[in-house]
Amino acid sequence: MRDESPIPLIFKAISVITLAMLAIPVVIVVLAGLNAGDYLTFPPQGLSLRWVISFLTSPTFLSAYGISFLVAAISTVISTVIGAMAALFLTRAGGRVVAVLRAFFMMPIVLPGVVLGLALYVFYVSSGIGLARSLAGLVIGHVIVTCPFVIATVTAALVGFDRSLEEAARSLGASPFAAFRLVTLKIISPAISAGTIFAFIISFGQFEVTLFLSTPNLQTLPMAMYVALRYSFEPTAAAAGIFAIVLVVISMVATSRLVNLKRIFGG
Amino acid sequence: MSDIHLKNLVKSYGENIAVAGIDLHIRQGEFFSLLGPSGCGKSTTLRMIAGFIRPTVGQILIGSDDVTRLPPEKRDIGIVFQNYAIFPHMNVADNIAFGLKLRKKSHEDIDRAVAFALRQVGLVGYENRYQRQLSGGEQQRVALARVLVTEPRILLLDEPLSALDKALREEMKYWIKDLQKSLGITTVYVTHDQDEALTMSDRVGVMQKARVEQVGTPQEIYERPKTLFVTTFIGQSNVIDVTVRGRQGERLSVDFGDSTVLTRAPVAEVSVGSAAKLVIRPENVIIGAAGAGLSATVVSETYQGALVRYRLSVAGQEIVAERQNQAHLARFSPGEVVGVSWDPDRSEALVA
Ligand SMILES: Nc1ncnc2c1ncn2[C@@H]1O[C@H](COP(=O)(O)OP(=O)(O)O)[C@@H](O)[C@H]1O
Ligand SMILES: [Mg+2]
Repeated sequence: MRDESPIPLIFKAISVITLAMLAIPVVIVVLAGLNAGDYLTFPPQGLSLRWVISFLTSPTFLSAYGISFLVAAISTVISTVIGAMAALFLTRAGGRVVAVLRAFFMMPIVLPGVVLGLALYVFYVSSGIGLARSLAGLVIGHVIVTCPFVIATVTAALVGFDRSLEEAARSLGASPFAAFRLVTLKIISPAISAGTIFAFIISFGQFEVTLFLSTPNLQTLPMAMYVALRYSFEPTAAAAGIFAIVLVVISMVATSRLVNLKRIFGG
Repeated sequence: MSDIHLKNLVKSYGENIAVAGIDLHIRQGEFFSLLGPSGCGKSTTLRMIAGFIRPTVGQILIGSDDVTRLPPEKRDIGIVFQNYAIFPHMNVADNIAFGLKLRKKSHEDIDRAVAFALRQVGLVGYENRYQRQLSGGEQQRVALARVLVTEPRILLLDEPLSALDKALREEMKYWIKDLQKSLGITTVYVTHDQDEALTMSDRVGVMQKARVEQVGTPQEIYERPKTLFVTTFIGQSNVIDVTVRGRQGERLSVDFGDSTVLTRAPVAEVSVGSAAKLVIRPENVIIGAAGAGLSATVVSETYQGALVRYRLSVAGQEIVAERQNQAHLARFSPGEVVGVSWDPDRSEALVA
């Protein structure tokens, strides 16, 4: 007799296939970026750092990387603050209005990015309030897209949050604000950080909304990669992809750390 | 002074009335329990005293201060929750120091007070533990220490033992009571467990359906219940249908089947011929030889170790009797005809 494996073989097979499907594009991009040949081909014709160097010396790509980083950083900060406050409101306020508001806040997740981008573009241009083709306009677009992710993660933490912790703090002499700052905020902070990192990753890779709001001198990395591939088939875009992946991996590692912390604290 | 006055306290949630007008005086230094079934409004009452719920109507005084409109942090009240609410992101020492830090005490004062509190609750050496490293009983001690270091005027406890296993519950019952007594702190204790209320309290307020039905010492509550609800909720009682025959001073004579028996008279006026309930605790029913008292037939006998329990049929109604299981007391078997009696002072007549 041998022990039955607790996980059926079919599940294991599906997991392996899924993992492969997730990993293969990453491997392809990395290998393509390290290609020694002249064109974006796969499998690569030998390995070299030729296109990595080309990325690091390309004013277009470097500035796009910088803009993406800047836009992601600003919109993440704004999304985190707004999203955390919205989550707090949505979990604590009662009534029918709140249910409607919750659906409303989550809309950007389900709304196709092109629709949202088009809507913002038309609004910016026709309202003439100076947001068209501006950094501010682009950041607003990214805040709208990333905010729901912060709301979702923070809400998840707040739904399970034991209100008697706040009450205990109040009874021990804390003002409502002090109780929030010293207890609630501390306990949900891993969730807020996780939301922040999600927001950053999503903003950094955002394409559809950006397509409508960026201009040649306000080009994000995904836009630059797209444009580069349309006009030349150089592997620089793939090299840029390597740097994008590195940034995302760093963020993911940071997230998993925070999520672990959350478990230790017992949320 | 830190006695508590609740004056016509009402809390309603729309149609739903959680507390329907409570008037109570909880005395300085007393251990007062609010006892009642789940949903009767105990927690709502406690949370109004703590300041988490604003009463719809009524007034709360602590000493001579009207605190009805004060937020919880201004009331100087310590509360221990059912789940203890230990801050999970702080260790035991920081949990206990929380209230003192808010009061801007010096480092030395805080350290001294925390060390003292840890000794008081028997948790020396637990300073650096976190909530997830503490058992239920230990969490409860931390919750008490955290509250007591701030020297509150009032201590509130909401079902603090219900999350513990039975053995620990027994131990903590006496421990909390002793601690309360040694501190002399005015305490309001909420529970649905009559054992806890009777064992720990100086006085008990029995609640039902958003109201306080009776207030008294554990003995008064148990031995002189004023309502049918109180007599059936606390311990067990035989409730027998009788007809009022007449009042004789402190006594009331009632017709029970073909016989007339005496019982303690209710305070309220009762008219001759009206229906009433005769209430007797099983341990007060005396079983003797046939002919002594009312004639009864033994329906069943249940052996319970220290006690033997009999179901008896008396004039068509069932009476339960409990006797100590002692060698010199005779046992009866089903079908046997026996005599049943009781001390009139150990029975109550209640008007339904
Ligand atoms: N926030 C609320 N909204 C509506 N009804 C409530 C609320 N809080 C309590 N109640 C109701 O008030 C009654 C008393 O509740 P509670 O004081 O918690 O009872 P207990 O502590 O005695 O079990 C219950 O019927 C409960 O459903
Ligand atoms: Mg309750």
